Amino acid sequence: MIIKDFKVNKSCVNEQLILSDEKFPLDMDKRDFIKKVLKGAIAGSLFLVFPMDTTGGGNFDKNSTLKDGISTFDPTIKLPEEIPEIRDRQYDIYKQNFAFIVDITRCIGCGSCCVADKREYNVPDGNYRTWVERYIKDFDDQVYVDCPNGGLDGYQKPRTDIPLNARDTFFVPKLCNMCKEAPCVQVCPVGATFISPDGFILMDSDRCVGCAYCIQACPYSARFLNPITKTAEKCTWCYHRVRKGLLPACVEVCPTGARKFGSLNDENSEVYKILKGPGVLTVLKQSMGTLPALYYMGQRLEVV
Amino acid sequence: MSKHALRIAFVVASVVLMAGVGFVLKAQLIPKSFGLYGPYRADAIDEEAQRVLKHGTNASCFGCHQYEATIHLKGNHKTISCEFCHGTYSDHIKNGKKIANLPVKKGTEITTLCLRCHNTEIKARSTMVIKTVGIQDHLKKQNVKLTHTCNQCHHVHAPLKYINEAKKITGLMEVKP
Amino acid sequence: MNPTLYKASTELSHGASMLISNYVFPNDLHVHWSMMIVLYPYITGLVDGAFIIAALYYLFDVKSLKPIARFSLLFAFAFLCCATLPLLLHLGRPERNFNMLLTPSPSSAMAGFGYIYAVSMGVLSFIVLFVYRPDLVERGKKAKGFMKLLYRALTFDSNDLSEKALALDGKIIRFLVGLGIPVAAVLHGYVGFIFGGVKANPTWSTPLMPVIFLFSACVSGISAIIIAYIIIRKIGGHSVDSDCIRTCIKTLTGFFILAFSFEMLEVFSHSYLKTGYHHMVEGLLNGPLASSFWLWQVKICSVIPLILLGCMAFIPLKDAIYTAISGLVSAILLLQVFIMRWNVVIGGQLMSKSARGYTEFHPEWFDKEGIAAVIIIMLIPFIILFVLGKIFPFWAEERKSGIQ
Repeated sequence: MIIKDFKVNKSCVNEQLILSDEKFPLDMDKRDFIKKVLKGAIAGSLFLVFPMDTTGGGNFDKNSTLKDGISTFDPTIKLPEEIPEIRDRQYDIYKQNFAFIVDITRCIGCGSCCVADKREYNVPDGNYRTWVERYIKDFDDQVYVDCPNGGLDGYQKPRTDIPLNARDTFFVPKLCNMCKEAPCVQVCPVGATFISPDGFILMDSDRCVGCAYCIQACPYSARFLNPITKTAEKCTWCYHRVRKGLLPACVEVCPTGARKFGSLNDENSEVYKILKGPGVLTVLKQSMGTLPALYYMGQRLEVV
Repeated sequence: MSKHALRIAFVVASVVLMAGVGFVLKAQLIPKSFGLYGPYRADAIDEEAQRVLKHGTNASCFGCHQYEATIHLKGNHKTISCEFCHGTYSDHIKNGKKIANLPVKKGTEITTLCLRCHNTEIKARSTMVIKTVGIQDHLKKQNVKLTHTCNQCHHVHAPLKYINEAKKITGLMEVKP
Repeated sequence: MNPTLYKASTELSHGASMLISNYVFPNDLHVHWSMMIVLYPYITGLVDGAFIIAALYYLFDVKSLKPIARFSLLFAFAFLCCATLPLLLHLGRPERNFNMLLTPSPSSAMAGFGYIYAVSMGVLSFIVLFVYRPDLVERGKKAKGFMKLLYRALTFDSNDLSEKALALDGKIIRFLVGLGIPVAAVLHGYVGFIFGGVKANPTWSTPLMPVIFLFSACVSGISAIIIAYIIIRKIGGHSVDSDCIRTCIKTLTGFFILAFSFEMLEVFSHSYLKTGYHHMVEGLLNGPLASSFWLWQVKICSVIPLILLGCMAFIPLKDAIYTAISGLVSAILLLQVFIMRWNVVIGGQLMSKSARGYTEFHPEWFDKEGIAAVIIIMLIPFIILFVLGKIFPFWAEERKSGIQ
């Protein structure tokens, strides 16, 4: 597990992120407390999920013409930009630095992210670009994990098949780790998957031969072979959205701010502040030496 | 050099020639943008960047649905994505025109949807993040029929909207500084 | 992949007696490398082993192997022709296979395949042509029409059988065989490395993998040659050269001891080192692979042949009995190597990368990568061998009778 090397700089700590008791004195009515916390906390993440300014949103210019040759209507034109400094400027592919942070303590296992992901990419049934696991740990250190249908249907029922003496239960969203030393990229024999200069690991489905070597090599099982196209597929952190200044679909729909995405070039971004702050961040399977750009907050050591 | 050796030299030469032709052919068949950034096709990056968006943002919905927007943005559900419950933007709007109506959840569908997040029985939900209920207990405690669906008391876009309004009317609303 | 697989995995989780629940990552339920990837290293292994026999004769002058040296070359060639078939059947997009040659990624262990295969195919073809040149020249003299043209092409249009020419051929053969050994070792060793280089899979990622693959390749190839030699000779009503068989068996014994030792060493190191993934490997070998690994690969197909090979080494046996046991041992060892490939390739994938559970694999009969396809692919080399036998005489003494 990684413990981030922190530069302590208190003035930069994002106050919105700290659910400190100081902000809400303990003698408060409990319900009120929760309500306020919810308001504060959710508003904090909401600010990042979408800017509250609605004046521009949706007043689409119906005459907007063919821009990228794909659609005559570009819904991004009037949408508030969610990742600053991307739109309307030259995209310097060498100077980008994005990070994804998953906050385990905020994930409620609703599965919105999984649904959004499936819809955004038409992911075939039984394959998952992202999924949410449920962990249950009991007092004997037994760990029970499940992930019915990848979390697509949410978690409607508690587990009844295990002795219930839970010490700790939590949800863990999983997605591509965007490793800086990506084993999938290393093993691809034809260069069909690659690390783009801006740090995304993408697929070239026009060149993929479908050998599935990348699927074997990924320590996180984030890849699958699309049964229709017979080529490998993976989470791209919604590269097409990011390049339009929008957040990845899963981050977009996350109601609690458990998934956070942003540019580290932007000192106001939540991920920048978290990575700069003193909190403990970990990555998955650090011993694999893959150097993920996906960080976890509040991760328990049982999570692999 | 004997005739035999000459033949062998000819064979070796043809093998080398064939290999040479192979490499020339290979150079011709490699896609143009291959190798621009590394051993891959650089155009694949742009192709991925131009993938058609399915989801918009909440702002894309609020542009037209301004009545819902005013309610949604004031309630505790303001962080919930419109598209999660109703379906994606692209299923609704294409080229600036409405192509289909998105479904509106009804009855028990709503309860199921609410309990995806708000079910206390799923213990892995931090009270710091979300308020959860055991639905049966909750209905009993509120003295309503056990067949009640959530939206009979809670506005789905702003769950405390009616409740707060009711409290105001009945004078039960806590006065806040 | 499909809902039934998921059901299977949840059922497993209910009855699991392990310390942890049986949890398989949702993308890990499907075994991506199935029987075709078992078959591919099996076929290249046969090529490798057969080539070793030829090399022992042509490069290391093991004279007793003379009767089968030429045949092993043809055998290796026939199987090498089919080595790409399982790979093409396995690929999701086989029509794009030339991408491997066009844009091989310098960082990938798999990318070299196209070139390594092309070189080994070239080297082996030329070895066959040079070794057979005297026969082909003789046959070409008697042939008519198309066959005459074919023989002319196969002899590089040179009917020079003078001592000087044959000496040159001999030098070329030695050079090509010398080149062929590293090429064959790379062709098969790299297959082992394809598995050994997957750090995400704890049963695969060991530097022993290429070594194990190489030695077991030699075992399977030599076994195959022994069986093929005995059967083809018996069918043709010819005698079996017992000196040759004895040399083969000695070589086989050596390679098998090495192969089996390394296979066991790998398991032993896992269980002794007890690294983080030890419980998963242990659970795999004692769980889903309990019968295919311990019973079949180790007990039936390794210990029994070891005992038999020991008897053959220490007890003086009559030629007929020796030959019969040789056939039996070789057959068991052919099976052993196949099961070993199965346990490595498919067995390794049964472990989910969650390190918490195992998936299942059920082979299908009529699938692109099904059992029927495996049988058909394994038959094709024998058809090729049969056709080759019409042009290239298998055995040396038939040539002598042919010259008269």
